[in-house]
Amino acid sequence: MTADRLQTYGPTAALLALAAVFAVLSPQFRTLGNLQNLLDAGAVLAVVTIGATYVLLLGCIDLSAAGVMGACALAVSLLVANSRTALDLGPLGVLLVVALGAAFGCLSGALSVGLKVPSFMTTLGVSAIGLGVATVLFAGVQPAVSDPWLLQWASGRWLGFTRVTYLAAAVVVLAWLVQRHTRLGRYATAIGGGEDILRLSGIQVGRYKVGAFTVAGACYGLAAAMVTAQLGSGIVQAGAGLSFAAITAAVVGGTQLAGGRGGIAHSMVGVLILTVLANGLVLIGVSPYVQRAVQGVIVVVAVGATLWPLRHRLEVVK
Amino acid sequence: MIEVSGLRKAYPGVVALDGVSLQIRPHEVVGLAGENGAGKSTLLKALVGLVRPDSGTIRIRGREVRLRGVAQAATEGIGMVFQEQSLVPNLTAAENILLGCEGSAVRLGLYRWRRLRELAQAQLDKIGSRVDPMARTETLSFAERQMVEIAKVLAIEERTRAQPVVLLDEPTSVLEAEEIETLFGQIERLRKHASVVFVSHRLDEVLQVSDRVYVLRGGQVAGEVDPATAGAAGLHRMMIGAEATGSHYHDDLHRPPERSSVRLSVRGLCGEGFTDISFDLIRGEVVAVAGVHGSGREELCRALFGARAVTAGQVLIDGEAVSLTGPRRAVRAGLGYVPSERKVEGVVSAMSVADNMTLPYTRPQDVEEWIGRLRIKTPDRRTPIGSLSGGNQQKVVLARWLLTGSLRVLLLDHPTRGLDVGAKSEVYRLIRELAAAGVAVLLLADSLEECIALSDRVLVMKEGRVTVTLDTPPGAKPDPVDVVKEMV
Amino acid sequence: MTTFRATLALLTTGTLLLTACGGTGSGSGATTAAQAPGGACKPEEVKLIGQVRNQTNPYEAAWLQGGDEFAKKVSLTQQRLTYDGESAKQQEQIRQVLATGNVRCSVLNVLPNGDSDTTPIVKQAQAAGAYVVTQWNKPADLKPADYDKWIAHITYDGKESGKQIAHALITAIGGNGGIVALQGILDTAAAKDRFAGLQAALAEHPEVTLLDQQTADFDRAKALTLTKTLLTKHGDAIKGIWAANDDMALGALQALEAAGKSGKVAVVGIDAVPDAIKAVSGGTMTATVSSDGPWQGGIGLAMGYCAATGQLDVSTIPTRAFFAKQFLITKDNAAQFATPKVDPAEFECANLFKRATGPIS
Repeated sequence: MTADRLQTYGPTAALLALAAVFAVLSPQFRTLGNLQNLLDAGAVLAVVTIGATYVLLLGCIDLSAAGVMGACALAVSLLVANSRTALDLGPLGVLLVVALGAAFGCLSGALSVGLKVPSFMTTLGVSAIGLGVATVLFAGVQPAVSDPWLLQWASGRWLGFTRVTYLAAAVVVLAWLVQRHTRLGRYATAIGGGEDILRLSGIQVGRYKVGAFTVAGACYGLAAAMVTAQLGSGIVQAGAGLSFAAITAAVVGGTQLAGGRGGIAHSMVGVLILTVLANGLVLIGVSPYVQRAVQGVIVVVAVGATLWPLRHRLEVVK
Repeated sequence: MIEVSGLRKAYPGVVALDGVSLQIRPHEVVGLAGENGAGKSTLLKALVGLVRPDSGTIRIRGREVRLRGVAQAATEGIGMVFQEQSLVPNLTAAENILLGCEGSAVRLGLYRWRRLRELAQAQLDKIGSRVDPMARTETLSFAERQMVEIAKVLAIEERTRAQPVVLLDEPTSVLEAEEIETLFGQIERLRKHASVVFVSHRLDEVLQVSDRVYVLRGGQVAGEVDPATAGAAGLHRMMIGAEATGSHYHDDLHRPPERSSVRLSVRGLCGEGFTDISFDLIRGEVVAVAGVHGSGREELCRALFGARAVTAGQVLIDGEAVSLTGPRRAVRAGLGYVPSERKVEGVVSAMSVADNMTLPYTRPQDVEEWIGRLRIKTPDRRTPIGSLSGGNQQKVVLARWLLTGSLRVLLLDHPTRGLDVGAKSEVYRLIRELAAAGVAVLLLADSLEECIALSDRVLVMKEGRVTVTLDTPPGAKPDPVDVVKEMV
Repeated sequence: MTTFRATLALLTTGTLLLTACGGTGSGSGATTAAQAPGGACKPEEVKLIGQVRNQTNPYEAAWLQGGDEFAKKVSLTQQRLTYDGESAKQQEQIRQVLATGNVRCSVLNVLPNGDSDTTPIVKQAQAAGAYVVTQWNKPADLKPADYDKWIAHITYDGKESGKQIAHALITAIGGNGGIVALQGILDTAAAKDRFAGLQAALAEHPEVTLLDQQTADFDRAKALTLTKTLLTKHGDAIKGIWAANDDMALGALQALEAAGKSGKVAVVGIDAVPDAIKAVSGGTMTATVSSDGPWQGGIGLAMGYCAATGQLDVSTIPTRAFFAKQFLITKDNAAQFATPKVDPAEFECANLFKRATGPIS
């Protein structure tokens, strides 16, 4: 029971401890401006991590964010007012791109379920397809976004927080509700807890797996639109490295790779830990040459400290 | 209710069911008895659509059906409580009870928790269980989970509006005595709603709860028994097909331990679940540890093998201190361990019989010999162990330690759990042989009878401490009632 | 995308060595060729091949376009190869093109994935008899002069790039004040050389202080987040931002815009990608340095074409591993770089080495 609690509250405690240390060491860290900056910086990772978390709950791994986001970033920048095409679809363009992401996710899920191939393989394949689509759309010229509505996501502020921040927060709340109170969310969790049991209960497990992958894809699509708004143009590398960052965030927050444990709330704590860490280390003036190592050490220590009491000597870790 | 006729199912090398015919009538508790491999599990699986028979028919309420899966069986009103529990640990009990048939508790994909709770509570009420439907399943005790499982099976009533048939596969194998009594109460209650098929390796239990007992042997119905007239001995004879010869516990193989030489010495051992444990094990001695659930005996056993942390104390084997820092060192020191969770810790299902036997040490040359000596029923040494019956799996696990050669102390944690009479007897024989060869055996027995019959001494544990030691030499066994008095 | 400039440090060392030797390299270029030298090919027999990592960034896309333009000039087409940054795939592609067609009239203009990839590429080309020009990456001890089919190796001086934009930045902030540096991937030679250039420039201007230096891994999104954090940390003290490539400079520009400081803080970068040139001509960005992808894409093919058709005698080229001229792009000259284009005259056989600024080894 205590171990259970530690798993639930450990990451939150680690986050608070980190924030406290940075707040003591750096006066700039304590400012409202930095809080606004922090949440803005973590927004894209949060949305990607939500997607990754749904797949992790199943006990699967999704590495498709890089490719899907590349394709979606190019697509959204070409669908809204931009320097290359005559299109100006505005919000509809963003919706289409979320649908495109969902289609990619659906493909990942369908391939994993249908071909019974481990998800990290199929999602890597889908990532490659996404990058291929992105390359075709890129065609040698970077499209610059000129749609003021989309650009406002990154620069426009309400109460000092960017719109991207509010958007991410809304997605977090929605994703949490879906996870807790819908069949898709509950079954995704259940599949991670015991897929064979669901099959024995006559549940079409594949359908819900594909559903979770589709939600993940939609998240990547939205995240790609957010990145494009922030960068002002559609770039193929929009999602580079985000798959691993998202999985790291989820695991640091207490969502387990084996599936069924953790969830949106846990993963979001993980996102905040990583974001605070990146921000705080710059603010307290840690040399860039050692920053990455320091980040790695802190993440390992945080995860280790959280999971230490849970370990079981004969447990097999893969 | 259900009429099975001429059911046949063959696997490569084995005929699991060979023309089985039987009937299950309304409000009846039907017992199924048989040795491991007699076809009990295959029959049950055929009844819930997990196994498709090669020939023969299943009629439900007079209509012939071909079952294609658990879901279809459920709509026909047949549900099964699996031996390995089939609840999703990270969901609530209510969700598990209604898994896959939430009905009005889920509208448009949205959960209505209050309705879910009510529906689940209704199922739990049927069996008079006080389990909180909103508790996370993994926080419940094993017995509570079994109640949830039965409630889940009963939920199929809501779908069919007909009386369900509940198949109970070895429901008592991991329950403590008082929990078994509760379960039997539940079965009586169930009888009002349903027909029950009860499978157990404990013959007395089968006789106690069943109205009729079918005995299976080699995939065929060997006979139908009326519990009112037949005794366990008769049932046993029918199961193994011949008069049971010799003593069940192989007392003839018993050798008095060599008093002078101490093999295992435990001094002031402390850890989570037990404190200040001290005792000696002599060469060739079988010492059983008795205690109720929570007495700390499982924890002690695992700690001795280095699979659980020890906070204080010392363990010596043949006078040499052993470091309890992990299973690897324990094996090196001559300790062997047969875990109770065979499926989880004992065997690597996907590996072959030979690989499992030689897991700690690689000396495959003796494998064939031991397969013969232990009468392990396997097509050949390369067969994946997961496809063997429980008794044969257990024999492979025991053989693993026999093969190491350097075995000095063997820890047996419920070695006969889930085994049938014949397989048990063979395991007892192995234990006797090991002891006679000078191995000191520490036994956590599956039943009190086994605990007393097999041992030279019994250590009684209570609340993490050894409270009393009883001598149980052959010919001077104490009354089980006296042992129980010490335990509670 | 800029990681491939990793060898610049080694190459710089090479320059120093060569300076010490006093340019004796020119004489040794006359390697004895066992076979008859080039010139046996008719112009229409020549096969032009351009190979880069991928087409997903403006720089490499422009490189391939430059190759196409040269091919059009001589009424041929360029075969485009991309290997997705995978060394094994690059080698396989090279093997395939060297195994098909009239290899002795084939011309390869190659961007090797890393230093070590260059060696097998030039050895295979030499063995097959195809002409090859490599750019950016090569081991220091591997010299075109030792081969007669490896016409040239071309690269840019990263230290010079870093220094040029640093000077532009210092001028833009009026010669004093604080700046921050966004470094590339720290363990790459490109990042080190460029930063060394910045430090050299700062040494000449003690009144300019480097407030902070952080890495954003040559990545636009990371630079965006990092710049926001640096703005929080240093606030108005930041007068200028030095970025080790244009992608990071553009990320920094977005951060400035989101903070309402667009145009108030000077930003410089390297590479002259189209968006950066647009920003320079629009006034939000101060300067960038061109490594001229279209020229790189065309010149390698031009060299091979001239050699294959007998218009260029490889043995007479004085410096075959050289730094190419780079152009500082500021608001004044941004218009002429706005659309990547090539001057066909530069691809004439007589003008092939006009842009060489100095030998590298």
